[in-house]
Amino acid sequence: MRKIVLFTSVFVLIALSIMTFYINNTTIDTSSEKVAQMPQDLTRVLYWGTRGEDVKRVQWTLLKWGYYDGRVDGIYGARTYRAVRRFQRKNGLAVDGVVGPNTAAAMGLSFGQRNTTAARGVNRNDNVYLLARAIYGEARGEPYIGQVAVGAVILNRVQNPKFPNSIASVVYQPGAFTAVSDGQINLSPDDTALRAARDALNGWDPTYGCLYYWNPAKARSPWIWTRKVVLKIGKHWFGI
Amino acid sequence: MENNRWILPIVLAVALVFAGVWGYNEYQQKNDYKVMLNNEYQRLFYDMKDNIENVQVSLSKALLSKSREQNVVLLSQIWQQSMEAQEKLSQLPIRHKDLSKTQKFLNQVGDYAFALLQEHLDGKSLSSKQRQSLFQLQDYTAYLSKELTNIHNKLMTGKLNFNAVRRREDKELDKTNEKMLDADLTKFEEKISNNYPELIYDGPFADQVLKVKPRGLGKGKVNANQAKEIASNFIGSKKTRKITSFEEGQNMKAADIQSYTFSIAPENEEKERAIYISVSKTGGKVVWMVNPRPVNNPKISVKEAEKNAKKFLDEKGYKNMEPNYSLKYDGIALFNFAYKEDDVTVYADNIKVKVALDNGEIVGFDAAAYLKSHYDRDIPEPKITEEEAREKVRDGFNIENIRLAMIPLEGIKEVLCYEFKGKYKGADFIIYINALNGEEEKILKVIRNENGTLMI
Repeated sequence: MRKIVLFTSVFVLIALSIMTFYINNTTIDTSSEKVAQMPQDLTRVLYWGTRGEDVKRVQWTLLKWGYYDGRVDGIYGARTYRAVRRFQRKNGLAVDGVVGPNTAAAMGLSFGQRNTTAARGVNRNDNVYLLARAIYGEARGEPYIGQVAVGAVILNRVQNPKFPNSIASVVYQPGAFTAVSDGQINLSPDDTALRAARDALNGWDPTYGCLYYWNPAKARSPWIWTRKVVLKIGKHWFGI
Repeated sequence: MENNRWILPIVLAVALVFAGVWGYNEYQQKNDYKVMLNNEYQRLFYDMKDNIENVQVSLSKALLSKSREQNVVLLSQIWQQSMEAQEKLSQLPIRHKDLSKTQKFLNQVGDYAFALLQEHLDGKSLSSKQRQSLFQLQDYTAYLSKELTNIHNKLMTGKLNFNAVRRREDKELDKTNEKMLDADLTKFEEKISNNYPELIYDGPFADQVLKVKPRGLGKGKVNANQAKEIASNFIGSKKTRKITSFEEGQNMKAADIQSYTFSIAPENEEKERAIYISVSKTGGKVVWMVNPRPVNNPKISVKEAEKNAKKFLDEKGYKNMEPNYSLKYDGIALFNFAYKEDDVTVYADNIKVKVALDNGEIVGFDAAAYLKSHYDRDIPEPKITEEEAREKVRDGFNIENIRLAMIPLEGIKEVLCYEFKGKYKGADFIIYINALNGEEEKILKVIRNENGTLMI
């Protein structure tokens, strides 16, 4: 009996150590060629808050396979989100509740860009999603207005010469946001964060033009207190 | 039994080997990432240094050249190169506090060059004041590139690497920043605009744009209690129960609109979330109001919602507002209303109203843009006729609608334009022709989908 234990453990350990060497070299084969040949079902990444025919297609597939029990209404809501997560967990995909190329492929749906004409080819949803992720990573425990305020600060920075000039450059500026440095920005945002992002992009600025915010309990740099303090929303102070 | 006492040591030895292998592997990986990251930073640094040197060279050439055409090329190089330098600088792992002035400097050099470029295209050439400012800009750029050379030398001799910078040990850029701080572009910018008002530079990053004061607030201060009353009247005092003020900092003065901010708990607090509202300290105007309640069963049409929104604005004393575009999301319709004076639509004075599509309630109101920009304008008479303007539009553009509008340009300038809405090769566009001189000022592309309209 003990011998069996010994041999299994030695075997497992050796297998593990071998695996660590090879795991870095194996990549997941998404076989992009295959995708190009199939008729294209999805042309964009689907997540909480998106709607349209493509969402219906995903809901229908999930309903057929017993992951989804809601209505096929083309609205990516809480139920669809949970169904997608269940599906991803079952199929060994990254469980993020977002239907991207890999998840779509696992559902048997193809994913690709449709040929864009002059009339199309513009989609501002990506910015909403990026902003929502930043808000969720930075301020998910905050009241709604506090979440919008964080989004507004990011957008105010885009407009200000002291900062980079696009949403992505502001969000990913090294050291600018803790949620970006520690990877929390990669969590998938909830409905509230998405709504906050939309409200911020539509122009609501509860901070009256602020460029900085900090949590007095956590702020590490004394420099931040030399900012002009304007307003406290939730746990954060906002300043210029 | 004899064999058994070897089991533990063997397992431990294998575990140790495994841990060692694993650790070494991790270490290797970490080093790979570090080298990769450092290489990336080095590349950014070299590129940025080149960009800044190019800016300086182009500046000196632009100062020498007498040809306008040549200057147009040089100014566009300055604009492009300084914007690129700015973008790369923002990706380097240096604290924001250490580079904000440098970043502002680069942004403004680019912005200024772009403004001058447009003046050149309008047929003007450099004035002596502008030349003087370009000389100064050139000096700062030269200083900046000298500092960058110092940093470069340190990088070469291994005294500095970007991982050290990441650990925040840099002093060199601090110095550059301080120099920038002394010789701030702001002062010098103000000097230009004070002495030669016709040369005020029109760019989104110009300081006069950043410092613009709200013009539509009206007169008279209100105190916190009056503001509370204004707030509860605005949402209908029946619905309010508890009004809480947000805590203000010492520098509310720095806000773009100084305001009291309240959260109002509605009567059935369990069901509904708080409503947020802001009342300006000057004039006592409601700046924005948001009721972030979820909307579940959209019933009413966007048309009906628009009526509600219009009625709401009329009641609140915002007459002459005209709906421009709408967006539908999360069971809410958002309308953008612009102020209309006689027949001229003034886009800068806009108010956004959000209507819940379940019961038609107003769940959002944002007049910040209106309050910042609204004033009694002297709208000029058009100098060219609609027919003349129509001739300036490309043949084949299918005009569906024409009207007059004041449109905001870069910076804070506004111009009176004929607005031509229409289609070109299946896509929707809006073309603006200056109603005073017939120049084509702007083209907007209209993107429609089932949820609304977007203009870029």
